[in-house]
Amino acid sequence: MATPPLIEVRHLAKHYGGVVAMADMNLSVAAGTIHAVVGENGAGKSTLMKVLAGAVKPDSGEILLDGQPITITTPNVARQHGIGIVYQELSLFPERSVLANLFVNAEPTRGGFISLTAMEDQCRDVLDQLGLHVDLRGPLSRLSIGEQQLIELSRVLIEKPRLLILDEPNSALNRAETERLFMVLEGLRAQGITILYVSHRLEEVFTISDAITITRNGSDTRTARTAELTIPEVIEGMIGQRREAMFPPALPRKEGVVDRQLVVNGAAGGALREASFSARSGEIVGLAGLEGSGVSDLLEILFGLRQAKTGSATYPDGIGLPHSPTQAARRGICMVPADRRKNGLMLDKSILFNISNVVVGARNDGPLTYLPAKAMERAQRQIEALRIKAASALAPANSLSGGNQQKVVIGKWLEIGPEVFLLDDPTRGVDVGAKREIYGLIRRMGAAGGIVLFSSTELPELIGLCDRILVIYQGRLVADLSGAALDSRIVLHVVNTGKLPQDISAAKANP
Amino acid sequence: MTDPDQLASPAPQRRTFRFPEEIGVIAALLVMVAIIGLSRPLFLNPLNLFSLLSNATFLGMLAVGMVFLLAIREIDLSVGWMFNFSAVIAAMMMVAGFNPWLAAVAGVLFGGLLGLINGVLVVGLKLPAIIVTLGTFSMFQGLSLVMNQSRAIVPKDTSSTYFAFFKERLFGVVPVAGLIFITLAIVLHLVLHRTRFGYRVQAVGSNPEAAKLAGIPTGLVRLQTLMLMGAICGLSGVMYVGFRGAIDPVEGSDFVLVVVAAVIIGGTPLSGGHGTIIGAVVGMLIIQVISSGLIFFGIDATWSTFVTGAVIVLAVTLDQLIKFQRARRADRIR
Repeated sequence: MATPPLIEVRHLAKHYGGVVAMADMNLSVAAGTIHAVVGENGAGKSTLMKVLAGAVKPDSGEILLDGQPITITTPNVARQHGIGIVYQELSLFPERSVLANLFVNAEPTRGGFISLTAMEDQCRDVLDQLGLHVDLRGPLSRLSIGEQQLIELSRVLIEKPRLLILDEPNSALNRAETERLFMVLEGLRAQGITILYVSHRLEEVFTISDAITITRNGSDTRTARTAELTIPEVIEGMIGQRREAMFPPALPRKEGVVDRQLVVNGAAGGALREASFSARSGEIVGLAGLEGSGVSDLLEILFGLRQAKTGSATYPDGIGLPHSPTQAARRGICMVPADRRKNGLMLDKSILFNISNVVVGARNDGPLTYLPAKAMERAQRQIEALRIKAASALAPANSLSGGNQQKVVIGKWLEIGPEVFLLDDPTRGVDVGAKREIYGLIRRMGAAGGIVLFSSTELPELIGLCDRILVIYQGRLVADLSGAALDSRIVLHVVNTGKLPQDISAAKANP
Repeated sequence: MTDPDQLASPAPQRRTFRFPEEIGVIAALLVMVAIIGLSRPLFLNPLNLFSLLSNATFLGMLAVGMVFLLAIREIDLSVGWMFNFSAVIAAMMMVAGFNPWLAAVAGVLFGGLLGLINGVLVVGLKLPAIIVTLGTFSMFQGLSLVMNQSRAIVPKDTSSTYFAFFKERLFGVVPVAGLIFITLAIVLHLVLHRTRFGYRVQAVGSNPEAAKLAGIPTGLVRLQTLMLMGAICGLSGVMYVGFRGAIDPVEGSDFVLVVVAAVIIGGTPLSGGHGTIIGAVVGMLIIQVISSGLIFFGIDATWSTFVTGAVIVLAVTLDQLIKFQRARRADRIR
């Protein structure tokens, strides 16, 4: 009889309220292999990993370790079973020493006191293995992001896990750091440690993994040995069949709209290394890219929130990049930030107050007074135009649903009639009904002559709404897709690999 | 289920009468006055009641300024010494023979300058005001002591109308200084709730990140707020010189705690985004009623500090209970 897989998951399901995170998830990982799990946002891969790590309790389904059923109720139980996880986001303390970070809550003691020497003895092997030679007693913040990621990994390795879970570990790493990470992972595999590897970057998945499980809509769709798969096949499995009726049709251009342009020349800053493009009034331009690829940085530069290191831009008003959000707001450039609760709203204030944010708060024209009657007029106007569902204009923003909160954020900008719209993932965490309404709003922004730059983590959205999609891969603008190229398979391929699929580039090369 | 159409276009709001939020502290003040007045009728003598207003004036002016600081989610610890330093500068100018009215204007401007220094440090160094003003607290104190050489500054020539003006009582009872305090409070109330600047202060205090991303010039607003605080300290300081005819080297040293206490008793939260000027005025009056009431009851005046502290704890406890109740009700609605 063959040895049972190290870990097996059968029919796992998990609901959050009405949202299905996992419907029927199955997974079987052979001991001593690197097993990759891929899927789009919301496919359920992160939830699956959290269940294995004991951070989330499943509604139903079973987990088998060495063929024996187990229940993982807490992270500590997972640890006792030899399961260690490195999360996507660093959970480290930047101000504390490297050593303190390696032994959080498990500090070795000598004679009742925490012993730094005992710590150093215990972590030396692991750090040598990872080739990490850093000042252990200095603060963590002196290390590069890549080194910090390796510290996070070491913390888990010190506990000597049998199964190591990595949830998108390299989203913040550059190419050299990623290569180093992969060498480390191969070394760990040689020692018999089994690795579950979640990632977005398909090219890298193909370099490192022995087997791949593809997930979609909370279920696994296919598991195969990596050698038997190709990138297009994996993408096909991730997308499946989709209904595309979510998106309202393009609206006719309003009469008398003057054609104007936003031209960006070699903008760079943050993760963004180079972007040159132009966009015309009435155009909805999509921005696609993985987390950390530079899409958010581009929007921040265009809004004046981040200073461009190099490069320039010309806006419809003939002036260059704004130096601050205040300047941007006064010039009719608006931004809807990705995290509306943190960056978009004054939650304890009323809708009325929030809608006046830009007109009263940012602009300097008009009277010095702030009159409640005027503010009420503005609030009622937007509540009606955007169909914001609220008890009254005096209801606090906190009391609204996610979709209605986002409409308030959009409404406060519509009050100044902006000409350039920068939308950073405006439908994140919004229910389906509100999503459709927001799509309708984006259409209207375009029809009114606005220049719309629209980033999203959801591909169908970009394809359904945009006239063109700009793809940013590792800080570079690598593709400007339009027409027939606006196809899930092609866009996903470019987003994940930075290159056009071979058949397409071949067709372009030999027309 | 509610009809979605009905929700989408809300019916015109019926005007429902709502008690002002300060109703709680106002009631508390009236109850305290009533209790003391019933057992000690002399307390209700108009002359005595107006002397409470008079006592509340100089600290009360700082308190209404401090409301702006708490509303913008900051705090200014240096107010006492801005008050003192401005008063010392104005008084020294009077000693040197300047027209007292002119010296007073200079004192207010000087207070504004001190506030500007706080503001430039806070905005330039991107530090919380509490840290910057912890430093300037001692810097202003030190410079003031260098100027007055640890002695009271007493303008010799008090024949100017300036000194008579602030001691004047209209109809024999209403103190002019107190009237200026009330006027300032009304003006600042309108500034906080009915002007662009006041709107920005509340917006920045409610969520600084969102304010920045809405294009609100957060740095400028912080600078303006700290400058306003300085100017109010200057005004309070020069009025004090007119009222007392002198400025002591230690006057102002213990102001900041009382000022913040009055603001908090009045109902302004420390979490920012919101403030009540009326509450701060009432809060300062409550503190004065406590210390004066104790005297009427023949209790040693040294107890007043303890009682003021106890009132703060009581006020924030009540406030927290009300918030907790509201949150629970809101949860149930959702």
